[in-house]
Amino acid sequence: MAGATETSVVRENTSTYEAIAALTVGLAAVLFFLGLAATVEIVSITGSLAGLPTLTALGLLLVVMGVAVGGFGLLSYRGLFPTDPDVSVGIVAAALFSALWALLGFLVGAEALGLGLAGGVVGGLLIGAVAFATTAFPREDVGSTLPAAALAVFFGLVFLLGVVGTEWSWSPANFPDSQSVTFFARSVAPFAVMLSSLVVGWAAAKAYGGFGARGRHLGAYLLVYLNAVAIISILVALVAFVVFKGIGPVAEGVEVGLGVGPATTVSLFGFSYDVVWPVYWPFLMNGASLFTDITGVFPAIVGTAWLVIGAVVLAVPLGVGAAVFLTEYAERGRFTAIVEVATNALWSTPSIVFGLFGAAFLVPRFTPQPQKSLLAGMITLGFMLLPLVVITAREAMIAVPDEYRDASAALGVSKWQTIRSVVLPAAMPGVVTGVILGVGRIAGETAPLLLTMGGGSFVGAGQRAKVLDSFQLSLSPPFVTNPELTQATTALPYQLYQVVLTGTGETAGVTDITAFGWGTALVLLAVVLAFYAVGIATRQYFRSKLSYE
Amino acid sequence: MSETDTQPRQDSGTEQSLTTQGESTERIDPSWRDYDFAGEAKLAVEDLNVHYGDDHALKDVSMEIPEESVTALIGPSGCGKSTFLRCLNRMNDRVKSASIDGSVRLDGEEIYQDGTDLVELRKQVGMVFQAPNPFPKSIRDNISYGPRKHGDIDTGLLARLTGRDDTDEEAALVERALRQAALWDEVSDRLDDNALGLSGGQQQRLCIARCLAVDPEVILMDEPASALDPIATSKIEDLIEELAEEYTVVVVTHNMQQAARISDQTAVFLTGGRLVEYDDTEKIFENPESQRVEDYISGKFG
Repeated sequence: MAGATETSVVRENTSTYEAIAALTVGLAAVLFFLGLAATVEIVSITGSLAGLPTLTALGLLLVVMGVAVGGFGLLSYRGLFPTDPDVSVGIVAAALFSALWALLGFLVGAEALGLGLAGGVVGGLLIGAVAFATTAFPREDVGSTLPAAALAVFFGLVFLLGVVGTEWSWSPANFPDSQSVTFFARSVAPFAVMLSSLVVGWAAAKAYGGFGARGRHLGAYLLVYLNAVAIISILVALVAFVVFKGIGPVAEGVEVGLGVGPATTVSLFGFSYDVVWPVYWPFLMNGASLFTDITGVFPAIVGTAWLVIGAVVLAVPLGVGAAVFLTEYAERGRFTAIVEVATNALWSTPSIVFGLFGAAFLVPRFTPQPQKSLLAGMITLGFMLLPLVVITAREAMIAVPDEYRDASAALGVSKWQTIRSVVLPAAMPGVVTGVILGVGRIAGETAPLLLTMGGGSFVGAGQRAKVLDSFQLSLSPPFVTNPELTQATTALPYQLYQVVLTGTGETAGVTDITAFGWGTALVLLAVVLAFYAVGIATRQYFRSKLSYE
Repeated sequence: MSETDTQPRQDSGTEQSLTTQGESTERIDPSWRDYDFAGEAKLAVEDLNVHYGDDHALKDVSMEIPEESVTALIGPSGCGKSTFLRCLNRMNDRVKSASIDGSVRLDGEEIYQDGTDLVELRKQVGMVFQAPNPFPKSIRDNISYGPRKHGDIDTGLLARLTGRDDTDEEAALVERALRQAALWDEVSDRLDDNALGLSGGQQQRLCIARCLAVDPEVILMDEPASALDPIATSKIEDLIEELAEEYTVVVVTHNMQQAARISDQTAVFLTGGRLVEYDDTEKIFENPESQRVEDYISGKFG
């Protein structure tokens, strides 16, 4: 009953106790990341860890942690540790623990012991009830540590005793088709490790804080922190995986030096000039051809770049214009509410619907015969981008303080001039943020391009979209024409899909089609990130004009 | 003392009942209506009524504001003094629920009529708001914003190409406005810095300079010092007194000491949107006609 007598603000004699508790929390975090690493196979389940087979090592750590945390609870209950526990851990934790244990009881009863569905249900209910009682009824220090400790010890023993070994697998018999689902040790074990280390870590963090309000705060902090770190690790792992798989084909045959690169003829409206690149990067600079040593994705990069540029040029003025009308001119009411709902709905419309619209409405309109074209792709993606630009531009403009508008009006400045010189500049960073988000989505969009832009899975460098070179002036309407815009071309996500789908590239001189696909994926990632970088730099520019240091 | 203590309570009681009965247009204290100031009237307001939806915010207000002087509008919160101020340059037009009738004449010219050029009106009747609201632009751009938008100054690329470059005019204008607002010495070396980096008091003086840059004849100020500390407040007060030598200043304030310090004449609005008394500031603060005004000024109510 240490907690009852302890009333001082500064808790005394806590150093040893806190050191051990902190060590346990740290161990739980280490175990959590080991589990995470095992999930993405950085740590091999079949290999070894610190001299022991991985599963044995993990099991040992779990048991040690379980015993430590359970010991904390009991010693605290006996009053040997200076803690300050509440009366009970609470109904939420009790419900979660009983649900967890009931599930385990069901699985063990029904599957491991072979008692069938009825046995499983009885076992589950029984163990769930015990877990609930253990959690809810004793004092907080026992209630939060014992069920968690038992979980860790249970999983630890399962691994230590070899119940779940490296070759273990389980196909639930109760599924209609018994072969349809199979769990392997390599996916179950890391998950069990992560789950139990989270639970034990939570209990240990509570113990570290001496239970009570401070303990609850630390327990929640640990869970939130581990979750955040896990999410970031997953993201990093994803990008790292793509880079790892794709860097080989992308970096193949890169040369740097004067005159090694291809010559580019820059020509616009009849003027032309030859530029020889000082770098030769085959994957980025070549198209598909049997005559080049390495097949590249140059036409697809060009296609994606033009698509994004076209969509942005179409969507940003329209979207910002609509947002100006909605925020500055239209009366707030039914009409603006409907427009708001409609733009939100449009933003969540599946991309294939936009694609079908483009195929039915745009594709037949630009050429004598219906033909998929770069222009149709640009406009379709522009339509997809439009609602997000409207939404974010509107929010950015609403966020501009009315004081600016009042100040401007009081100087006798008209509404439109106020919008142009005060409201829009102040809203610009928000608008750019919206465009960045939207570009991230449309640059990777595949479905609409299938239906509107087409192209081939391997495109020669000569067939890239030469938009800038192809403007032609004439004296009769429409005065400026550009045949490239009405041609089908290719884009990175579309090409990636085609390459993976067809799975063969001999005709284009590609031997390892999977590597080529990963390379394309890496380039796509880089192109999207490059657009992000441009967007963020633009936003920073507008922000710096508004703020002071 | 005890006599004067009981006396006003009775009086204010009867007055109160008069106003609550009184959706009538009966005037409460007619004597000050003959308030005769020296000099010309810059603004003449007659029977001004403002409704916000069903709320009758301003009732039959009539007063004349003399030129080149400071007129203070005082009264408790919600008495309509800010509404009155915003009627003088038609800023209330921007409030959708507001309906305004009555007459306001600027130099004898009715501003509430069809064909009033709001741009021209607001150039002549400038306004400074309660909270400093500089634009998120450089100090220079804040000052030259008005003249630029009115086409008086153009330093754009096109202007330069066509041989009209007002860079010198702009510099002169910025310096003039900042000097008038007593801010030049503090910011002359950082005109290109963002105005939001200035202190609150500096920002408010910048807003006054921004208003002066369009060369107004009347400056309306809506509690210009209420968001500022005492030192910044005293700077603004000095500035207002200086400005009155050249401009007609109308200032709304909650601070009665401030009104007494800076104004030449004071109008007292009391709850219900009525102008109760309007006279020389000295008279209002020392010997008001209305018992209610005396109660308000001595802090007995309001």
